[in-house]
Amino acid sequence: MLEEIKEKFSKDIASITSLSDLNDLRVKYLGKKGIITSYLKSLSTVTPEERPVLGKVLNETKLYIERAILAKENSIKEFELSNKIKTEYIDITVPGKFVAPGTEHPLNKILNEVVDIFVKMGFNVEEGPEVELDYFNFEALNIPKDHPARDMQDTFYITDEIVLRTHTSPVQIRGMIKRKPPVRFIAPGKVYRCDADISHTPMFHQVEGLMIDENISFSNLKGILISFIHMMFGEGVPVRFRPSFFPFTEPSAEVDMGCILCKGIGCRVCKQSGWLEILGAGMVHPVVLENVGYDTERYNGFAFGMGIERIAMLKYQIDDIRLFFENDIRFLRQF
Amino acid sequence: MKVSFHWLKEFIHIPDDIEKIAQILTEIGHEVEAVERYEDDVVLEINITPNRPDCLSVFGIARELSAYYGVPIKFPEYNFTPDVIDLNFNVSIFDPDLCNRYAGRIVKNVKISTSPEWMRQRLEKSGIRSINNVVDVTNYVLLELGHPLHAFDLNSLKGNMIRVGTPKTILGRAGKIKTKTLDGVERQVSDDALLIWDSEEPIAIAGVMGGLNTEVTENTKDIFIESAHFNPISIRRTSKNLGLKTESSYRFERGCDIKLLKKALDRCAFLIKNIAGGQIFGKIDIYPKIFQPTEINLRYEKVNTVLGLNLSKEDIDIYLKNLSFEVESDDERVKVRPPSYRNDIKREIDIIEEIARLYGYDKIPTNMPFASIGIDDQVSRQLSLQNSFRERIRNTLLNYGFNETINFSFMSHQDLDLLKIPQEDPRRKTVNILNPLRVEDSCMRTTLIPSLLKNVIFNVSHGNRDLRFFEISRIFLNENSSKEQVKDRLPVEIVNVGVINYKEKVKTLYKEESHDFYLMKGVVEALLNACKIKDCVFVRTTEPFLHPGQSADIYISNSKIGFLGVLLPTIINDCGIKTQKPSISLFELDLGKLFKYHTVDIRYRPFSKYPYIERDTAIVVDSNLEAITFQNLIKQYPTDLIEEISLFDIYQGANIPPNKKSVAFRIRYRALDRTLKDEEVDTLHSQLVSFILEKTKGQIRM
Ligand SMILES: [Zn+2]
Repeated sequence: MLEEIKEKFSKDIASITSLSDLNDLRVKYLGKKGIITSYLKSLSTVTPEERPVLGKVLNETKLYIERAILAKENSIKEFELSNKIKTEYIDITVPGKFVAPGTEHPLNKILNEVVDIFVKMGFNVEEGPEVELDYFNFEALNIPKDHPARDMQDTFYITDEIVLRTHTSPVQIRGMIKRKPPVRFIAPGKVYRCDADISHTPMFHQVEGLMIDENISFSNLKGILISFIHMMFGEGVPVRFRPSFFPFTEPSAEVDMGCILCKGIGCRVCKQSGWLEILGAGMVHPVVLENVGYDTERYNGFAFGMGIERIAMLKYQIDDIRLFFENDIRFLRQF
Repeated sequence: MKVSFHWLKEFIHIPDDIEKIAQILTEIGHEVEAVERYEDDVVLEINITPNRPDCLSVFGIARELSAYYGVPIKFPEYNFTPDVIDLNFNVSIFDPDLCNRYAGRIVKNVKISTSPEWMRQRLEKSGIRSINNVVDVTNYVLLELGHPLHAFDLNSLKGNMIRVGTPKTILGRAGKIKTKTLDGVERQVSDDALLIWDSEEPIAIAGVMGGLNTEVTENTKDIFIESAHFNPISIRRTSKNLGLKTESSYRFERGCDIKLLKKALDRCAFLIKNIAGGQIFGKIDIYPKIFQPTEINLRYEKVNTVLGLNLSKEDIDIYLKNLSFEVESDDERVKVRPPSYRNDIKREIDIIEEIARLYGYDKIPTNMPFASIGIDDQVSRQLSLQNSFRERIRNTLLNYGFNETINFSFMSHQDLDLLKIPQEDPRRKTVNILNPLRVEDSCMRTTLIPSLLKNVIFNVSHGNRDLRFFEISRIFLNENSSKEQVKDRLPVEIVNVGVINYKEKVKTLYKEESHDFYLMKGVVEALLNACKIKDCVFVRTTEPFLHPGQSADIYISNSKIGFLGVLLPTIINDCGIKTQKPSISLFELDLGKLFKYHTVDIRYRPFSKYPYIERDTAIVVDSNLEAITFQNLIKQYPTDLIEEISLFDIYQGANIPPNKKSVAFRIRYRALDRTLKDEEVDTLHSQLVSFILEKTKGQIRM
């Protein structure tokens, strides 16, 4: 009897392809009035001796049907899902909805690179005001009023005593006043000069560096700066130090590196010399140390400064400084 | 400065070729910027630093090479016997502080004509125009020896006398006076400028330019040649005040050789006699205070410690001797007296530089310093925290697709006018530049918005679309109460971040996202999130340039940290942007304040490991009820089981009465210590909803 039911069920289920038909089938066999249910109900009519045997068989059949329905349900679902997926194809060649990531300004990119190199050499980062007292910008740096060295920098004036800083060097003074030696910091920032043409903008960026300690020599200045240039521009770049003049350093040096564009053969950028001016540097002038109350017999040190625009122009081969401040998106997106 | 190689070779035997000389000069601090080749000569263009006026001549460069090679130099010929000794001429110095020495010679019966070819060529190669033989000789000697000379027409000079003094001293009264210089320009001279006078009037501006009234012309027969030493600061002031820079003032303001001036005078007289003929008269030389060389002690040891070298006492002595320094040495130190032309040598370190220069910077060994471990002092620590905070802001903006810009720190009040910023606004208290390059750049920025707006206008006019810019820069606020700028009080410098977003209606494949305001608000929230700032309040803006309905001022703890919103369409119009439906949204925040409020002290709070239960409800409330009020109400409700509130729908329209809106929200409930029961949450949620309805006078949306 039960074997017949099983056989009939197998036939019924084989022809089913939808979940609703499957549900009807479930009701037909397992529903309140279903075939198996009614058999189970009729158990009460059989003799107590037969009951356990019949009950066991009935339960096995019920379990068999339940499992078969579940398996069928899963296979129908799977089939329907795969059909659905087939209808959900989109055109994958349409361009994506793209939000370009922002780009760093090339000057800040270079500035951060420079700062990073010096920070790894143990330099702190210092700041100072951009609107600065004449005293810090000039006098404390051994550039008195009426000194011809003031001609080296065209100055924007706010009052007789206040200027837009013409270099980051005043940060040397402020930074030393705030601390006791030994001192080691760099000061990146904006500086201003009353000058505008193809190679000059009224605002540009510098990084200043200062190291004061016992027994610092010119040879150490060379050590630090050559390492910097090698890290920034590559290990093999030749470096040249030549005497120069800054009122706040003595001895003063101009630091050149071999032209990275022509490899020293001579080109338009290096004015055929094979060398590119990259840094100004020198041993801190004793007058400057005296101005901040440092003991010049015990402490000495060096300072250096560089222009970020120049480095960026060399690295990215940009030929017009004004591009940095036009902020044309076609320019900015390249960095 | 231009130096002829041939001329140079008249003073010193040079064993090397021109390329080598150019290299040597650069290596000892006189950078050769260019080498100009002529048929029969080569001219070096040398950059002389302001501390080395002694090198502003052919002879000066020869002297440098002599120090380098350690070989002697020849002084040009200047000896003669005066034809007439008697003089009927008087010189008096009225301001001895401004004129330390004044010498002169008279040459009579000269024949004015053009100079010989060789002299004209040398002058022209050095960039000086030939005038006549007498004037040319003064210029020739200037180039040769570096000392400025001036020739007066003796017969135009009244009273057979020269007086050296300022108008204040000579005339005994203050006030500007007028005089005509050689270039034909009438000039106003201040009363403290040093002038040269005859018995009646000024005949030259000392050290700067001669007067027209005593010019040497083709009719000149007798001349007076001046060779003097003037105070550098005085000459510099006069030259700056007059805006008149000459070969002469350039040298005097840097400092001339007080000893050389007599030889320069005689060299000049000698050449004039040779070229223009005439009789040389005896000399006048007023030299009240004889030059005393500075005495400097140099410690041999110090040379080596400063440079990182190991030079012997003998090595050092040779360098000093080659530099013509007078020395007296013992074992440890040497007393050095620099020559009169080296007024830049003032202390020990200056001599050390001289030795370094001649030794060669490139030969100094390269060593890393043995330094004490970097001490991260508190000052530096604070700064580095600030820097990394700014970097975090910057990186968040970069990640959101904004391009970083850098603009000049300048603006003008017109930029503020465009933004309708009222006169009493603190942003009107600008730091003004006395000498701006352009009116548009006449003061320092007090807001970053004008620059960012200009970036947008520039890009739009170049056909660029979809612009997202930001800038992190300082703004400058004058905190003085009066409009007058206090002489030496610095303004406050604040680092701001400005962000701008430009969109226009374009056809696109994809659906338009959120309203510009929400888009930018999302960015602000991302920044606040990055600095872990929670208690931030957005209120309707008071900024006159923002859309009043779609903008906010941003507050933390009752302090305004910035604003956010949509730029008024009228201002977009005023900017001349004529694209299709352009829209600009922006914000500006004070990073200093953000830094103050950002959380550094992060403390871990435990979170629940039990399941949550969520309930959704929609209510109908007055359309002007703001989301913030709604959220605050829920936050006020006394329970600690609410974990999260989210608004998921705000709707106005069909089925909702006018002036009302439907707000749908979802509350997530969860307890820290147990699993919540459905019934418990049902009760709590219905109480919460009743509470909200009561407070908002709203109704459940059916
Ligand atoms: Zn090159």
